[in-house]
Amino acid sequence: MSTPATQTATIQYDDKTVRQFMFFSVLWGLVGMLVGVICATQLSWWQMNGKFLEAISFGAIQADGISWLTFGRLRPLHTNAVIFAFVGNMMFAGVYYSTQRLCKVRTASDLLSKIHMWGWQLIIVSAAITLPAGLTRGKEYAELIWPINIAVALIWVIFAINFFWTLAKRNEPSIYVALWFYIATIVTVAMLYIVNHLSLPTSLTHSYPIFGGLQDALVQWWYGHNAVAFFLTTPILGIMYYFLPKAANRPVYSYRLSIIHFWSLVFIYIWAGPHHLLNTSLPRWLQMLGMLFSLMLWAPSWGGMLNGLLTLRGAWNKLRTDPVIKFFAAGVTFYGMATFEGPLLSIRAVNQLSHYTDWTIGHVHSGALGWNGFMAAGMFYWLAPRLWKTKLWSVSLANMHFWIGTVGILLYVAAMWTAGVMQGLMLGEVAEGGTTLKYEFVETLKAIQPQYILRSIGGTLFLVGFVLCAINLWKTARSGQPHDDTVEVAVPVKKHDTMTVRETLINDPVAYSILGCFTLCLWFFLPPHANIAALIVTALLAVKAVHGFRTRGTKWIDWHERLLHNYLPFTLLVFIAVAIGGAVQIIPSLIVNRDENVEGRLQELYTPLELAGRDIYVSEGCYNCHSQMIRMLMPDVMRYGRAGEKDDFSHLGESIYNHPFQWGSKRTGPDLAREGGDIVDGHTYMRSGARDNVWHYNHFMNPRQTSEGSNMPAYPWLFEKKADLKALPTKIAKQRQLGVPYPPMNQHDIIDKAQFQALEIGKSLAKAKVLQPAGLEMGEDEFAQYISETEVVALIAYMQKLGTYKIVEKDGPPEGTPLDPDSYRGVTVAPETGDTANITD
Amino acid sequence: MSEENSESEVKRGAFAKKKGEVILREHEYDGIQEFDQKLPNWWLFTFYFAIIWFVVYWVIYYHTDAYKTDSEKIVEKMEAIQERKEGELADALASINDQVLIEKWATDPEIVATGEATYMQVCIACHGTGLDAKMGDIPLSGRPLNDGEWQYGKAPMAIFEMINNGSPEGSGGYNGVPMVAKGGAMLTPEQVAQLTAFLISKNPDDYAGATFDENGKLIE
Repeated sequence: MSTPATQTATIQYDDKTVRQFMFFSVLWGLVGMLVGVICATQLSWWQMNGKFLEAISFGAIQADGISWLTFGRLRPLHTNAVIFAFVGNMMFAGVYYSTQRLCKVRTASDLLSKIHMWGWQLIIVSAAITLPAGLTRGKEYAELIWPINIAVALIWVIFAINFFWTLAKRNEPSIYVALWFYIATIVTVAMLYIVNHLSLPTSLTHSYPIFGGLQDALVQWWYGHNAVAFFLTTPILGIMYYFLPKAANRPVYSYRLSIIHFWSLVFIYIWAGPHHLLNTSLPRWLQMLGMLFSLMLWAPSWGGMLNGLLTLRGAWNKLRTDPVIKFFAAGVTFYGMATFEGPLLSIRAVNQLSHYTDWTIGHVHSGALGWNGFMAAGMFYWLAPRLWKTKLWSVSLANMHFWIGTVGILLYVAAMWTAGVMQGLMLGEVAEGGTTLKYEFVETLKAIQPQYILRSIGGTLFLVGFVLCAINLWKTARSGQPHDDTVEVAVPVKKHDTMTVRETLINDPVAYSILGCFTLCLWFFLPPHANIAALIVTALLAVKAVHGFRTRGTKWIDWHERLLHNYLPFTLLVFIAVAIGGAVQIIPSLIVNRDENVEGRLQELYTPLELAGRDIYVSEGCYNCHSQMIRMLMPDVMRYGRAGEKDDFSHLGESIYNHPFQWGSKRTGPDLAREGGDIVDGHTYMRSGARDNVWHYNHFMNPRQTSEGSNMPAYPWLFEKKADLKALPTKIAKQRQLGVPYPPMNQHDIIDKAQFQALEIGKSLAKAKVLQPAGLEMGEDEFAQYISETEVVALIAYMQKLGTYKIVEKDGPPEGTPLDPDSYRGVTVAPETGDTANITD
Repeated sequence: MSEENSESEVKRGAFAKKKGEVILREHEYDGIQEFDQKLPNWWLFTFYFAIIWFVVYWVIYYHTDAYKTDSEKIVEKMEAIQERKEGELADALASINDQVLIEKWATDPEIVATGEATYMQVCIACHGTGLDAKMGDIPLSGRPLNDGEWQYGKAPMAIFEMINNGSPEGSGGYNGVPMVAKGGAMLTPEQVAQLTAFLISKNPDDYAGATFDENGKLIE
């Protein structure tokens, strides 16, 4: 079926951009992994948060902790560096290399390639400066501040233009499966990134996300989960589809498996986000969708693994000799392992144990180190000799990298699995009698210290392997000369890219899919009985679709073949497929889960000082270790709920005004949702909750003083830095715009209120004669004034407010709310059971 | 690519299709070829099964009342625990009084040691390891427990009550800081009693020559 060519053209590929991306991927990879190792050691030794500098500088630097070195600030740097800098640059290298060859054309614009390449590195550098400086949006993997967000979006658009322009100029009529995955990546990441980064700036470096509370949680994990899907998975699958058959010199196992697993993967992945919020106050129907779509995702994920591993059939002998095949085979296997574990962890019962513990950390690293790290290494080892027209400098060094890396991953993952399971079980263990818990939180933390050290060793081994890789690549490059491939290509008579929108959308497969999705959603959202009807219609549609495929299958196949000759219609359909899941989950929640619909517990608004404290909490990255979400699980309610309150899990209304939400994803420290308390008698604003001001004061100065065995960093700078009260009027004005019902206050009111509350707390600390920060020996009044202006008092004010709420009563029995499947359940099922009960009576 | 190893064993395109053999697609991309193997059955069936399970599970949860909601489930469990706790407290209160705590519990080294262990876990953050509400020179937020002053009464049952339920409502606490209840969520009544015994043993002067009424209540 080779297309008749009228002429040929000589093309030199732009491999310089590929070399540059590859160089930076390795460089940032080293940095990102090193930061990861530092973070890992911080969990074992609190001194790694800055105190260690005392020892290595022979006392020249004196500090119990250094702000820009604390775990809360470095962990976002680690995740952002390895995701966006290491994998990002690796992906771009692979995409630029393979797209040119699969399109038989040079990248459309060298200028855009340059802007893309250098712009991305500039973004990384600005991230590396702002994150340790404590400038953050407080949402995981979306921490970068808003000006950088705009830069990321712009550079991504430039990448997209360059990519699609190249597709438009292609000399290969049909687009190969690798390109499908690249298309899905570009479109979906743009959509996710933009929506999750919508914010209202309050200054050049600070903004509030426009979504709050559970809606912010939902949007965040729609983004977070699919950053894994469409930044760490689909582009790498595309790279696998190009580089693995190349390296193995074998045909891809199954074309039709490519089609089925591609479409099912991109459609289903998007729905799975809520599995990061299981057992929380996120509405049940969203949790159900998150869990059930995750289970359905298993097969599509394994489709990719099968196509990778089975392509190696007939080339397994190369496993012994070729390090590239070794890395690819292991990488794809780790992908299979991680995508098997993922659905497992999405089962609500399993998630009780894995969520908030190190099990999840182990899961993500089996994917990140095994799949991303090894696929990157395999690709680099394959590319380097070709990009510099030479031989790989040392095959045995690459083999050594492989074995050190593999042992590192296995140690890491095994340590995290055991740590997670062990701590999870300990946290849930009840004492004899069954009415109290057996272990204090810090006891469970101490118990997993051996595993934490093992994890640091595993991570270090992986880093060492990667250093070997960097040396090998460097030596390889030095042994050759930069080389850009030149090829003779046939230029086909252009018959492709002619499909109209009508042809794209009006045909059997698309019609069945869209209609099916529509009736499926009716099943979720329609009131009782109508929803069953919708389910039956969906089932009938499915049967009819199968029948249609059996009788007119060739027509469907021909249409899809033709679709592959038309990149824009293909892209349009990909966009529709990935847009549905998010829209069905997020839009109803935005409409239904609003403060005016909340019944029961509704969050108390923060006073100005408490809001300032909250922004410090976010800025210091406290959410990296502390959750604010008591799940609907007995161990959670027993540990964190108040004695005697039967329903003291976190309710949906309790955090509804939080921009950003701070439910957290990992408990290295205990949950903080019930930290706050009532206003202390005789005070206007000052509150005291589970622990008093002095406790918090001592705890921030030296966590080990109040909690022996804690691995939390000390925060000495909070006792010196002044809280930024001047920013409060703007911040509160922006919060009002976002729908937080603050009463009108002028800026003097706001600052006066904040100062008044700060002084209340300052006085309580001074009266208790707390230890003054190093070097200070003030009198009581002077100290009260001094400390009231510092960040620590604002942060204490926030801690004492956390999780406080008022009760909103609603009249009448619960009603079914449109777009809220959970509300119908309560309405319909209850009377029915009542009826049956009467009958049996 | 792959002249020797694939070409000989597979037939291309339409020919292979007719013969029911593995199809090697005719088109190649930058030298990459593709087989068109059938989807593995076990793979297909796991996929189908997951889809069916989705429908079945949703129907069971939303269209029947076989499952309770999360909030119903957790409230039921916590109610059961609460009931058991109340029972425990009632039993404890029936078995101890001031006299029993001073004469039996506070003199039993095993009980005192258990109480001390609990103290070191739960109380030292505010009351210090030496009961002086200090850590080195740093004053902590609690009251000293070794100065002979008992704000809410020195009777052991008053101390028990204080630990179990926290500062009395409206008392304002110490330096404006009320103590949070340690009974219920954290400690069992037995542990609270052990703690009380430990405190008595650490303040022997306060309880030397204590006298009791007929109900075992301390006469102050």
